[in-house]
Amino acid sequence: MGIQILLHIGIVMILSPLLLGIIGKTKAFFAGRWGPPLLQPYYDIGKLFQKGNVYSITTTWIFQAAPIVCLAVVLVSSFFIPLGGLKAPIQFWGDIILFAYLYGLARFLMMIAALDTGSSFEGMGASREAAFSCLAEVVLFLDFIILALLSKKFVLSEIIEGNILSSWPLFGPVLLLVGASYFLVLLVENARIPIDDPAIHLELTMIHEVMALDHSGWDLAYIYYGGAIKLFVLGGLFVNILIPYHSLSSVMQTVMFSGGMIMLALTIGIVESCMARLRLNRIPLLLISAFVLALVGGIVVLVKGV
Amino acid sequence: MTDYFLSSLVLLSISAVLIVLTSRFQKISGGIFLFSLGTGCVLGLISAVSVLVHRVPIDYRLDFRMPIGEFYVGVDLLSAFFLLTIVMLSLFAGIYGYGYLKDDEKKNLSVHYALYLVLLISLMLVVTAKNAVLFLVAWETMAISSYFLITFDDEKEAVRKAGYLYLIATHTGTFCLWVMFLLMGQQAGSMNFDQMTLASFPLPLAGVLFILGIIGFGVKAGFIPFHIWLPHAHPAAPSHVSAVLSGVMIKMGIYGLMRLILIVKNFPEWCAMVLLMIGMISGVGGVLYALGQHEIKKLLAYHSIENIGIITLGLGIGLWGQIDHNEAVALIGYAGALLHVFNHAIFKGLLFLSAGSVIRSTHTGEIDHLGGLLKKLPWAGHLFLIGSLSICGLPLFNGFISEWLVFRALFDGVFHFETNALVFSSLAIISLALIGGLATACFAKAFGAIFLGNSRSIDNTHLEENSSLMRAPMLVLGGLCLWVGFFPSTMVSFALGAASTIASLKISPMAEEAIISPLLTVVWVLMILVTIITVLVLFKRIAMKFLPIEKAPTWGCGYSMPTNRMQYTASSFAEPILRIFRNVLGFNVTGNKPQGYFPKEEAISSHVIDASEDFIFRPIFQFIKSLSAKLKIIQFGVTQLYLLYIFIFLLILLIWKMV
Amino acid sequence: MWLELALILIIFLGIIILGNNRLGTMIQLFALQSFILSMTPLLVHPGIHAVIMTAATIILKVLVMPSLLFWAIRHVSIRREVQPLIGYGKTLILGGFFIGAAFFISSKMDLPVKAISNLLVPSAFSIVMIGFLLLVSRFKAITQVIGYLVMENGIFLFALLLLEKTPLLVEMGVLLDIFVAVLIMGIVVNHINEEFESTNTIHLTALRD
Repeated sequence: MGIQILLHIGIVMILSPLLLGIIGKTKAFFAGRWGPPLLQPYYDIGKLFQKGNVYSITTTWIFQAAPIVCLAVVLVSSFFIPLGGLKAPIQFWGDIILFAYLYGLARFLMMIAALDTGSSFEGMGASREAAFSCLAEVVLFLDFIILALLSKKFVLSEIIEGNILSSWPLFGPVLLLVGASYFLVLLVENARIPIDDPAIHLELTMIHEVMALDHSGWDLAYIYYGGAIKLFVLGGLFVNILIPYHSLSSVMQTVMFSGGMIMLALTIGIVESCMARLRLNRIPLLLISAFVLALVGGIVVLVKGV
Repeated sequence: MTDYFLSSLVLLSISAVLIVLTSRFQKISGGIFLFSLGTGCVLGLISAVSVLVHRVPIDYRLDFRMPIGEFYVGVDLLSAFFLLTIVMLSLFAGIYGYGYLKDDEKKNLSVHYALYLVLLISLMLVVTAKNAVLFLVAWETMAISSYFLITFDDEKEAVRKAGYLYLIATHTGTFCLWVMFLLMGQQAGSMNFDQMTLASFPLPLAGVLFILGIIGFGVKAGFIPFHIWLPHAHPAAPSHVSAVLSGVMIKMGIYGLMRLILIVKNFPEWCAMVLLMIGMISGVGGVLYALGQHEIKKLLAYHSIENIGIITLGLGIGLWGQIDHNEAVALIGYAGALLHVFNHAIFKGLLFLSAGSVIRSTHTGEIDHLGGLLKKLPWAGHLFLIGSLSICGLPLFNGFISEWLVFRALFDGVFHFETNALVFSSLAIISLALIGGLATACFAKAFGAIFLGNSRSIDNTHLEENSSLMRAPMLVLGGLCLWVGFFPSTMVSFALGAASTIASLKISPMAEEAIISPLLTVVWVLMILVTIITVLVLFKRIAMKFLPIEKAPTWGCGYSMPTNRMQYTASSFAEPILRIFRNVLGFNVTGNKPQGYFPKEEAISSHVIDASEDFIFRPIFQFIKSLSAKLKIIQFGVTQLYLLYIFIFLLILLIWKMV
Repeated sequence: MWLELALILIIFLGIIILGNNRLGTMIQLFALQSFILSMTPLLVHPGIHAVIMTAATIILKVLVMPSLLFWAIRHVSIRREVQPLIGYGKTLILGGFFIGAAFFISSKMDLPVKAISNLLVPSAFSIVMIGFLLLVSRFKAITQVIGYLVMENGIFLFALLLLEKTPLLVEMGVLLDIFVAVLIMGIVVNHINEEFESTNTIHLTALRD
């Protein structure tokens, strides 16, 4: 168990910034540029680790605690999902709730850390994060309910492993709907375009980035690293739902999983290249559509009978 | 073990009288209060814990017959669980209250202390009464004593009005309870709960009893739309009283419903549906209204409604499990509800007490005026943070454990039920997730605006931390939050015991083990989380030795003259969410945006309208008021006429008897 | 399986149309929806009858009508629905509610014909309801035309039930009717625009006495 956990931590920590690199490369390709090297996110994080910190005189220990807890939480959340041939090291009846609520813990700390600076911009970011994430959480739970209904299991890794396989022939359309709505949640949770633009520098329009405005040095590195891992973990869950590879040999599983992750990064890159950021008041609409999509999926499951 | 419980009751009653007698000597009466509260609560605690550990109920009958009832108390597992909750919170809130009030020289505090003890006694009697009449007497005593406690600051008009509203609401509820118990007594042929439990109730009658119970107990518990008294009464009372009211007294409504389920046993299916609906509406409604509040105690009061909603969800799914003969769902649902009762008492008590410390230091509860208090009031601040994390149901703290149980019961419902129940369980899961997200937002707002950043309009420099008599109880409550969060098995097993009593089931150690063991894994994962956090902290500590650290003002994004009043306020923090939900809420923004190149002074304010208060009850009350104004016709003020009324009434009675 | 996938996609597109405020995108989405729709006869009863249906639907609904609508919006130069009668969020939630209702109603309905998939009738119902919702919630004449067309797509799905029994001629007639209707609407929209300098149907109330 201990070794499995360390292995999971290792893989997640080593590979997750690569996903950002692929997204960056894809966007550069669509913009007709050569773009930063694939390993640029590693360089960025490494650079931040070499820098000292600047703390605002207004802040308390909470400001410093939030990045640490965020990184720890996303690391722990990766234990619940299988990564290719690697089984999830922690599985128990009801881990879905822990999975979702751990993110709640990180979010709460990030929000109060933003308020800790006393800056109106960061308060604004925290407020937006609060508004959109509570809608995203509802959609996430609806997706979980549908998946749990299909598998009759209450364990995250079992929901996405064995039963996805048997569900695809019968409930393929439903899984597509769930996948679509989960993809929107993924974009919201990871602050990607069209919800939020991680690259812009206009505080008034930002959501997630604006909360990290005053963080620097190690704290900022923790936050960026945490963000990359979050994308990796939630993306891994997405790949596990959409690609029914779980009956293959473990080598093939790993290959399929890696392929899926790369495809995901490419998709996100393409979406970001093709779409503009939505206006803030349209974002709830996007989440409501995600909710309605999942709802239709749920109704279809009920009508067809499980 | 009966002795412990009874001696606690007797001790508390005697000291209540003594306190009134010694009211001239505030020091003595205060001393008696502290001593009797401590001893009485510890005695109560011992009896409750021993019943819960050994799982053997105890009974006590006194040969003292009231007209239609008798003095018959007993501590079964359900009573014991509530008793535990009551004494835990009342003890610490009482000690805090002593520290909170002791410098107040204008008021006669002895009466307040005595009333506090009376409230405690009546609470203990409500949960242990085994006779309907005794129950109702205790219920009334509880209502009246809490009325006097709420109106402690009776020189303020708002407080008097709140107390009045409370009195009306609680008596409306009591009326329904009388009818309910009379119907039950008629069916069973006795007013004793034991006999009632043995009787069988036909389904239609059970439905009627359920409706009466929902109204009668729901008014006390604060179900939406019967909650209108609650957000007025809780902020009006002194903080420690609010803690007891919100932490324990409103739970008596939940206790009553559980007792009703225990007695009647067979309910039609729609009852569970109604409970789940109430749970969803109260939960989501409560937290949305809370988001719209700008006053800390009012915000906490609305959060009580939200938590009552969560408890009701557990209760509802448990009842559905019981109706559907699904033992696991019934047990886990009830256990989740019960554990949340306990947890809510602890963390809401903690929150009210620390809010009280803030109000006592700054003399205001307006969130938008405060800020930056964590540095000035570190105790209240950090304990408020623990309370906030717990109430949001976040892992590491106790709220997570009970919400996990409710979630688990609901998910089990999704797996095992037919379409109807399945749809309701799914809806309940979704609302619970929404409640969790909104509560996180709400407490990020409350904690962030009060304790973090800089003070907005209050001068913080002279603030001082409160006395240790107020800090110690909060510290213990905060410790309890963490204890349940990290070592849940004791409390979960207590809750399961009480749940098996409600469902009239025997629970095998194996089944109990199966329910608790995932929670132990949760704890294990949390331990890993703590380890990783420690490692990350260590890494950073080591790195910081070699890297420079600077202090600077917060970056103003290029704006050169930032002031503290430019910080995001609690109202602005909540605005996006309220805007999303404005159609269900009645969210009003008044004021104008500044216009032109040289704008005049403008102000914007936002508030949330409580729909059930403004659109349901106010018209009803208006109607009743006008009706009673018409009844004034028969009121002449001439004594002879009144005598005539009595005579006529007697005559009618006689004739009625003859016919 | 493929039929169900198509049905789900049609509902999916319906929801997206409902949440959209750009007329161009709406028309494109409608064309896509119609394209998937036109494939359904082939999936239900492969045969010459179905091929003709598919071909006719593609020509009319995927090619002709969208280009007609594009012509209309270019001509009156409006690009988005600015002020809907019912807000987008509310329409979306209502849409979800209506879809639920559609599934519920059709589970209670007793049809004389045996449906090929138990999703067919409910999806037809849902699409009709989504179209109806578009009709009642938007002001712009173009959006209303689209709503009407989406509704017609739902009716087309209903007709799939009876594909074997109805003569080809009847369906062709129906399609032609719609074509003519859209043509007339396009002209009318144009005239509304010329008359009132806006395609907001609320201005039509000025015509009453």
